[in-house]
Amino acid sequence: MLLANVVVPSIGFGIVTASILALAAVGFTLQFGVTNILNLAFGDVMTASAFVGYYVNQAGGDIAESILAAAVFGAVASWALNRCVFTPFVRRGTKLFGMVIVTLSVGTIVQNVLLGAFGADFFTFQGGLSTQYHVAGMTFSTLQLVIIAIGVVAMALLQLLLSRTKLGKAMRATSANPALARVSGISTDRVVDVAWLLSGAMCGLAGIVLVLNTTTFESTTGSSFLVVVIAAAMLGGVGRPAGAMVASVVIGVAMEVAATFITPTFKEVIAFGVLILVLLLRPQGLFGQASSVREVAA
Amino acid sequence: MSHAFQFYATTLLVYLGVDVLSVWSLNLQYGMTGIYNFAWILFQSIGAYTAAVLTLGPSTANTGFQHFILGTSIPFPLPLLIAGAVAGVFSIPIGFVALRRLRADYEATVMLVISVVATLIVSNVQGMFNGTAGLSLIPEPLYTFLHVSTLSYSWLYVLFTAVVCGIVYIFVHRVTSSPLGRAMRAVRDNEAAAESLGKHVTSVRMFAFIFGNVIAGMSGALLVQFIGAWSPGAWFFVETLIILTAIIVGGTGNNGGVILGALLVPIVFNEATRYIPTSFAPAAIVDSVQWCVIGGLALAFLWFRPQGILPERRRRFPVPPEYAAMAAAGRYPPHDERGATGTPPVAVLASETES
Amino acid sequence: MTVSTLHDAPAATTGAVVPLLSVRNLRREFGGVVAVDDASFDVLPGTITSLIGPNGAGKSTAVGIIGGGIRPTKGTVQFAGEDLTGLPPYARAERGLIRTFQLSSQFSKLTVLENLLAAAPHQRGEQFRVLVFGKRLWREEQDRLLERAYELLVRFSMFEMRDEYAGNLSGGQKRLVEIMRALMANPKMVLLDEPMAGVNPTLARAIEGYLLDLAAEGVTLLLVEHELDVVERLSDNVVVMAQGRTIATGSMAELRENEEVVRAYLEG
Repeated sequence: MLLANVVVPSIGFGIVTASILALAAVGFTLQFGVTNILNLAFGDVMTASAFVGYYVNQAGGDIAESILAAAVFGAVASWALNRCVFTPFVRRGTKLFGMVIVTLSVGTIVQNVLLGAFGADFFTFQGGLSTQYHVAGMTFSTLQLVIIAIGVVAMALLQLLLSRTKLGKAMRATSANPALARVSGISTDRVVDVAWLLSGAMCGLAGIVLVLNTTTFESTTGSSFLVVVIAAAMLGGVGRPAGAMVASVVIGVAMEVAATFITPTFKEVIAFGVLILVLLLRPQGLFGQASSVREVAA
Repeated sequence: MSHAFQFYATTLLVYLGVDVLSVWSLNLQYGMTGIYNFAWILFQSIGAYTAAVLTLGPSTANTGFQHFILGTSIPFPLPLLIAGAVAGVFSIPIGFVALRRLRADYEATVMLVISVVATLIVSNVQGMFNGTAGLSLIPEPLYTFLHVSTLSYSWLYVLFTAVVCGIVYIFVHRVTSSPLGRAMRAVRDNEAAAESLGKHVTSVRMFAFIFGNVIAGMSGALLVQFIGAWSPGAWFFVETLIILTAIIVGGTGNNGGVILGALLVPIVFNEATRYIPTSFAPAAIVDSVQWCVIGGLALAFLWFRPQGILPERRRRFPVPPEYAAMAAAGRYPPHDERGATGTPPVAVLASETES
Repeated sequence: MTVSTLHDAPAATTGAVVPLLSVRNLRREFGGVVAVDDASFDVLPGTITSLIGPNGAGKSTAVGIIGGGIRPTKGTVQFAGEDLTGLPPYARAERGLIRTFQLSSQFSKLTVLENLLAAAPHQRGEQFRVLVFGKRLWREEQDRLLERAYELLVRFSMFEMRDEYAGNLSGGQKRLVEIMRALMANPKMVLLDEPMAGVNPTLARAIEGYLLDLAAEGVTLLLVEHELDVVERLSDNVVVMAQGRTIATGSMAELRENEEVVRAYLEG
């Protein structure tokens, strides 16, 4: 019974974390699926978007406007990065590992621009909306319910987009075989643009809700979270949004439940443990295909 | 030369030596064998922590403000060697998990995650290496024994660093100029083909990984025994990016080129700028500018000159005099040039266009 | 040789010659697709055997299984009297079975000469415990390898190109490097997957000549090939695959009379 008092609320935290994680992991995995890039600057774009939302709030905007601003910034910034930096490098012949260095360098630059501009101190972003609700033994603030709602709605919309619309089909086709998609008449450039705008929006949303949930943040917040995002994306199978969603729930809840038994700062190590298991047993993740991660001939 | 300048110079020189070892080690892995070891800094760190706990003496010393495992005083130069060995030992399980025929970027990301999580663990487990505060008061080897001034000691340490570099170079050179070095490069260029020709690909990669990390560990020991302190702040995963950028700038796969890279990137762009007077710009800005420069350098070179300043050398081999003479005269060895069925050699090949 | 559908035991028509390679009941599935259904054939030592069949017949997969890169769902591969099941490609290469690839697989940033030197197996200089003591312990071995490499280069008319990066060669030259590399290992048998694909006719004829020379010197060859006139000129024996199964074996003339073979090519 005592256990239930401790574990059940943590499941509640887990659901919140899972929502944040889902937004990030699905965005991350979408970028990989459609453009074949493991974008290690993702976390830093999250941080930048959070800063944008924060300053909108500081300038008088309400929470909704902050969230919207973050999403828009994330979308535009991610799209611009892909258009202006990543794709040109790929076209120039940069190979897979070179792209890791490219995305990492970009992320490092973004993070350090933030550091230089805003300093090394912690910022506090009080979202307000702190009325507590009790549901099935778990406690949520309004803000947390909003976060969960954003996560669920975004995931549902994305699923609908991918499975029901022409654009979604085009994205899945480009993801599976870009050359074939192009030959079949799909404007892969446009599909890629849309994919980065969408995933960038999720990146921005993830950044702002992460910060709202933890209330304090600084220039490294996003990139610290990236480890967990990568774990969720890999567990679900990189390139598979549905997989990333499931994996986020698994990891999010596991992390928070485990945090009741071990030092909370160790939460991320749980995600790491999951990742190691995945790599040892099934590198392509729960839903991925072996070919997506195996050594390619070229 | 003023004392202050000499201290500055000796510090830079020791750092240069450590960075030279660093680039050689990562170059063996990445440049020569195609191992995307984004956890490289972790292995330097393993070496540093090992040397620290082997020389700090018991943790109860100095009012016991530091909490760490082990804690003995092992005489010089054993800590350096043991540090390398320990880094090598840790390479085995990590290599087992991460070096498994994964895509290049996947492998790099996995290594990166390992590096990050190691930082997390060490930061949060107080008793291991004193958490985020890290270890300090690490003694300089033989300092009390030598009875020289601090400045003279610094120069002696520079000499010691040079000697270590020299000895390591002998080993590195022997590997890279040997058939094993060739096998490593073959595995890098085409794993499947290398395996179909009889190379034990996994063994070759594991060897490069372990050997490189042993050197990385020794570089960590060398560094930590000079600067006297080591904490998680010294080995965030991005530190690997500095060494990687040094290799990219200097010349991937070229042992001499990467020395140039070690000079330019960690020394010139990183350390030297550290001494910009703080009235000019606050410390945080200088730090962030440094990182932006590193990131920018990596991007610039990947775009304009991915092979680096001094690209990998072309290896040529001596031709026995009979061959050389005959090739020059346009004739070929006396034994049957036409093969058993009389097929003439097809001379058109030398000037063949793409078929 | 008699035409047989290969589910009979191979006819020992040439006396008691033991096959060098013996493939039995190979099967391999990829997801839901059966790439190889039931393949069985023998290759006699010192012969050139061609593996032919329409697209999708499973030829490349079969060669991949024999080479060790692909694991069969069922079936066995026997080479020189030994069961190769479970052995990775490098172990097969060490036993004298070398595979070449359809897409050129040269070591691009190594010179042509280095490509050849890298191809020899069992080099002492590749062992750390040897090379750490200095060059003198492996110099002699390397000199011998150099000699062999130079001979091959001269024979294949690539001596002038020896210091070129293999990645800079033309397609045909890369193909020659591939063959030379396979020979550096003094193999008992070489598996060649479409060695003349995409190569200009002059060079293709030259390669044919080289392959015949090799067989004359005792190297056993198994080729996957599409050009039926090449197959006819080169092969001592031909094995036909269709839809994953080996359906016939014999000389080209015999196979042309075989109804099943003709049907497979028309339908496949």
